[in-house]
Amino acid sequence: MPLIGQLALALALILAFYSIVANVLGARRSIPVLVASARHAVWATCAMVTIAVLALWTSLLKSDFSLEYVASYTSSTLPTVYKMTALWGGQQGSLLLWTWLLTIFTAIVAFQNRRRNPEIAPYALAVLAGLAIFFLGMLNFVTRPFDMLATIPADGQDLNPLLQNYWMAIHPPSLYTGYVSASVPFAFGAAALITGSLDDTWIRSTRRWAIFSWFFLTLGNLFGARWAYEVLGWGGYWAWDPVENAAFMPWLVMTAYLHSVMIQERKDMLKVWNLALIGMAFGLTLFGTFITRSGVISSVHSFTQSGLGPYFLSFLITAAVLYTGLLLFRVKSLRTPAEFESYLSREAAFLFNNLVLVGIAFAVFWGTLFPVLSEAVRGVKITVGPPFFDKVNAPLALALVFLMGVGPLIAWRRSSLDTVAKTFAAPVIFGAVTGICAFIAGLREWYVLTALSLGAFALGTVFVEFRRGVSARRHMVSENPARAFVNLVAKNNRRYGGYIIHIGVVMAFVGIVASSFFKTEVKKSLKEGESFQVGSYELEFLGLSQNETSHLETISARLELLRDGKPIVLMQPAKLFYKRPQQPATSVAIRSTPAADLYVVLAGIDDATGLTTFQVFLTPLVFWLWAGGLIMALGTVVAMWPNVRERAAIAAAVRLPATVDIGAETVPGGD
Amino acid sequence: MPKKLRFAIGAGLIIGAIGYLIVTAVRNTAEYYLTVNEVKARQPELSGQMLRVAGRVKAANIAWNPETLTLAFDMVPPPPVDDTGAVVKTVAATVDPPEFHVICRGQPKPDMFAPNRDVIVEGRLAANGTIEARQVLTSCPSKYIPKQPK
Repeated sequence: MPLIGQLALALALILAFYSIVANVLGARRSIPVLVASARHAVWATCAMVTIAVLALWTSLLKSDFSLEYVASYTSSTLPTVYKMTALWGGQQGSLLLWTWLLTIFTAIVAFQNRRRNPEIAPYALAVLAGLAIFFLGMLNFVTRPFDMLATIPADGQDLNPLLQNYWMAIHPPSLYTGYVSASVPFAFGAAALITGSLDDTWIRSTRRWAIFSWFFLTLGNLFGARWAYEVLGWGGYWAWDPVENAAFMPWLVMTAYLHSVMIQERKDMLKVWNLALIGMAFGLTLFGTFITRSGVISSVHSFTQSGLGPYFLSFLITAAVLYTGLLLFRVKSLRTPAEFESYLSREAAFLFNNLVLVGIAFAVFWGTLFPVLSEAVRGVKITVGPPFFDKVNAPLALALVFLMGVGPLIAWRRSSLDTVAKTFAAPVIFGAVTGICAFIAGLREWYVLTALSLGAFALGTVFVEFRRGVSARRHMVSENPARAFVNLVAKNNRRYGGYIIHIGVVMAFVGIVASSFFKTEVKKSLKEGESFQVGSYELEFLGLSQNETSHLETISARLELLRDGKPIVLMQPAKLFYKRPQQPATSVAIRSTPAADLYVVLAGIDDATGLTTFQVFLTPLVFWLWAGGLIMALGTVVAMWPNVRERAAIAAAVRLPATVDIGAETVPGGD
Repeated sequence: MPKKLRFAIGAGLIIGAIGYLIVTAVRNTAEYYLTVNEVKARQPELSGQMLRVAGRVKAANIAWNPETLTLAFDMVPPPPVDDTGAVVKTVAATVDPPEFHVICRGQPKPDMFAPNRDVIVEGRLAANGTIEARQVLTSCPSKYIPKQPK
């Protein structure tokens, strides 16, 4: 098996080289046979990497400890599902997963474009193959997943206990899918720059890829936060750790990109900016891998440090220089006569939303790199922690929510003050009333009050948009409200999917603000039979119980949760002692309601005194972060859904002879 | 005023505001990230400052009181290592290694806290040389790094 995997990776590397040469030559000299051959090479590359992945999976499942990777990240007692997920438990496997996704996506792109985009598709495929070559080079020469051990150990060192969790089973693949699919729009952007076909074909051809990437980046961040919440046992979900920041930055830039391409499609503006944004988004996905793998930046939950750093950095710099060079080279042809006309326009709202999103990304970038920068410049390592990120991002988040409210309602090009006042009256009143109600209810923090008002305002604008659309349909085609609503969303899924995402963002935002401001923490050491108070709840400690398997030992505490003297539920936080890595881990007990989460950690058991220590967090509205995240995912699915009109456009485009310029209606990729 | 300029001013204001936020936030929240040796070398000037100090838990002298949730221990520099990760044996220790007493109140003992573990302590350096910690973070034990068998 290992031999087959190794061989497949070597062949994949050769095939990727061939596909670049054949694609570029075929496109330059217009030799369709060569382009077709390159396409087959792309598919073959994908097949080879798939074989390598299956080979590694087989070895993991068979617990073949002669393989260094298997011995390092699994053990014979590890549950089967984690033997599967160990594929991304270590560095070599993670890179293999990355490469696999990349070659799968490249294969899909090759298939989608087998009859369209003859100008830029071969170059885009060549760019993607170039990327694959880098990763395959790493896998073949630097960090090899199929290295064998000279002496076969009796058992493996096991997967890090923190990774033995179902969220860790889905978080890395989601995030990697998001990371890797961002390279598709990037590759098309680069191809547009290389060939000089600078109309918005590259954007339209990869629109769905960009949304797809955003969808998985969103889920990846969300799953990561949920994992931190359930596994790390500190009561929070986000700590501004470099690893988290690395996942957050591409999401921010992709969000900016998804908004600003709308301006290019509509107004033919911001061409340079869009190309720059997709370049940044792509660069940040590589940067994320670089900082988590290189050990340049210390992270509390850092990964294996390794010699990968210099390679990644060189590749990143090379890609950045080449891309920036291309962009500068074409900058003259990218100028457009169109310009912004008024601050009271959707273009302006989108422009400022872009600035704020990229500003947040920059602040996060700066804070993450600060230790390295300060050491380089001043010779002292200075860090900025969560307070820095909170301070900078809190006001920017408010600005963003405000703009999110303005964007959907304001007209393109320009509005008069009068129309603005009329359109925004209802949402503004709704926002103000929400703020006043919150004030009357006893809230005094100005930030929370502002956040609630702006959130309500943004929700209000979405509501107004839906109402407008529904009533227009009711008048035009006289449908009943429910039917009109469904048709409205179905016929304009991209737009209304976006609004659903906005609703989710507001929900998540409110959840984040409330859970950051009003968290109660109680720490208590007590004996069996004693009880303590947390907010309006009472927790009675009933006792400890022990359970042992060959894989781990569990000590769990039983706590009765009471409110007004009435028992509600039995909570069982636990401590886990994994046998192989000899490392303890925490299993928290969470009782989640829309109003608040009660989060109980078994923090320590002291044998000497017989005291058991509990750490309890009462966090309001954190539920809404997860709910909002799900709504965002749902909205994204709606926005990605292929709709009838687009189908017709694709059919029409394919029927047209290739010589006719079909740029305007060119097909969005990636169903 | 030409429209371009008007928008450039607006964009400039936003960028300026973001820059200002970053600069002030850095000024208010920056902490030195130092090793035990570095803190020792600059102890007088660092007194009273918020620090993040990386070091190792000395095996002797660890006290944990679960009732008050008070953890006290001594922090020493990790032994010097060579490129392969093996501890370099110094011939003769001419000076005592620097060490700091750390007191952390009101926090549960971290799961992975143990003698000779590498930790990062966040807290204030008091005038008497004690670090009053807000938080003690344990680094992931290095044994997860697969070692190449020779």
